[in-house]
Amino acid sequence: MEYKLRKAEPKDVPDILRLVKELAKYEDMEHQVALTEKDLLEDGFGETPFYHCIIAELPGETSSQDPSVVGFAMYYFTYDPWVGKQLYLEEFYVMDRCRGLGIGSGILRHLSDLAMKTRCTGMMFVVAENNEPSVQFYKRRGAEDLSQEEGWRLFRFSKDSLVKMATPSEE
Amino acid sequence: MNFKLRAATKDDCKDISRMITELAVYENMPDQVKISHEELERDGFCQNPFFECLIAEVPEEQKSKEGFTVVGYALYFYTYSTWMGPTVYLEDLYVMPEFRGNGIGKGLLCKVAEVAKKKQCVRLQLSVLNWNTPSRDFYAAKGAKDLTATEGWHFIRFDGQNLDNLVNEAPTN
Repeated sequence: MEYKLRKAEPKDVPDILRLVKELAKYEDMEHQVALTEKDLLEDGFGETPFYHCIIAELPGETSSQDPSVVGFAMYYFTYDPWVGKQLYLEEFYVMDRCRGLGIGSGILRHLSDLAMKTRCTGMMFVVAENNEPSVQFYKRRGAEDLSQEEGWRLFRFSKDSLVKMATPSEE
Repeated sequence: MNFKLRAATKDDCKDISRMITELAVYENMPDQVKISHEELERDGFCQNPFFECLIAEVPEEQKSKEGFTVVGYALYFYTYSTWMGPTVYLEDLYVMPEFRGNGIGKGLLCKVAEVAKKKQCVRLQLSVLNWNTPSRDFYAAKGAKDLTATEGWHFIRFDGQNLDNLVNEAPTN
């Protein structure tokens, strides 16, 4: 089955949100998606995009049908003060019914190529430790689990804590 | 102790580079620092910078044993959560040992939180080494949650030969 990878355009935003919600459901956290199509449009296709997106498309069943969006990867550039630019893979998902066709591998290869072309020395992301299929997918391709190997733990401050810290205190 | 927090300028990159190496030594990984102040100048002060940096500075009369007045830094950049929107990722936070205990670290963290709030970010994220108890406690005391513990998130990386291998398999379409 021929699939096509291309840069996302503003018209893809409804599909991107649909896939974000499907991935969140797979991770048992779909109620946590607070973003709307409007947010995704402003944040990805405004003056300073916060993210970039690659879309995977399958052709329509007949020549008169539109292609359907069946997978995506959302990424942005981060910085490691020891080695420089990194490509950070925020979201990576292929619809259930389209797995096993090489789309996931194709997206990952495309991103690696992009990382090298943009002078990144690495590609990083997080995976939930109980997500065995994903952990194995990445390990097979040579990824290192830095939490295991170097002991890195991911911490987060939510909005409430942020607001508390940001409000000037009496000192 | 008097200290001032301000946005870094290109001229600060030599001091930032010095402190990056000091932090790497503290984390037992000094040989992993491969870039110098030149890359920092190029990547942090171009048209679309890849990071922002805050500096902690003390007056001349309180300078360090070796004569430095730039004594701490916070390096961060903007990331994106598909669930909640723009976020800030705090990549490095460091205060020179002889200046600790004066509220500089806390000041830098709060200043980053202020930047996050101004840019309408909904989260601040960072990572800490599991043996680094002082830092883990510092962040937990300010309200941070350890997502590796509570949700099982692990940091994964492809670099060096492994990244090259992936590229060499890239399709030509």
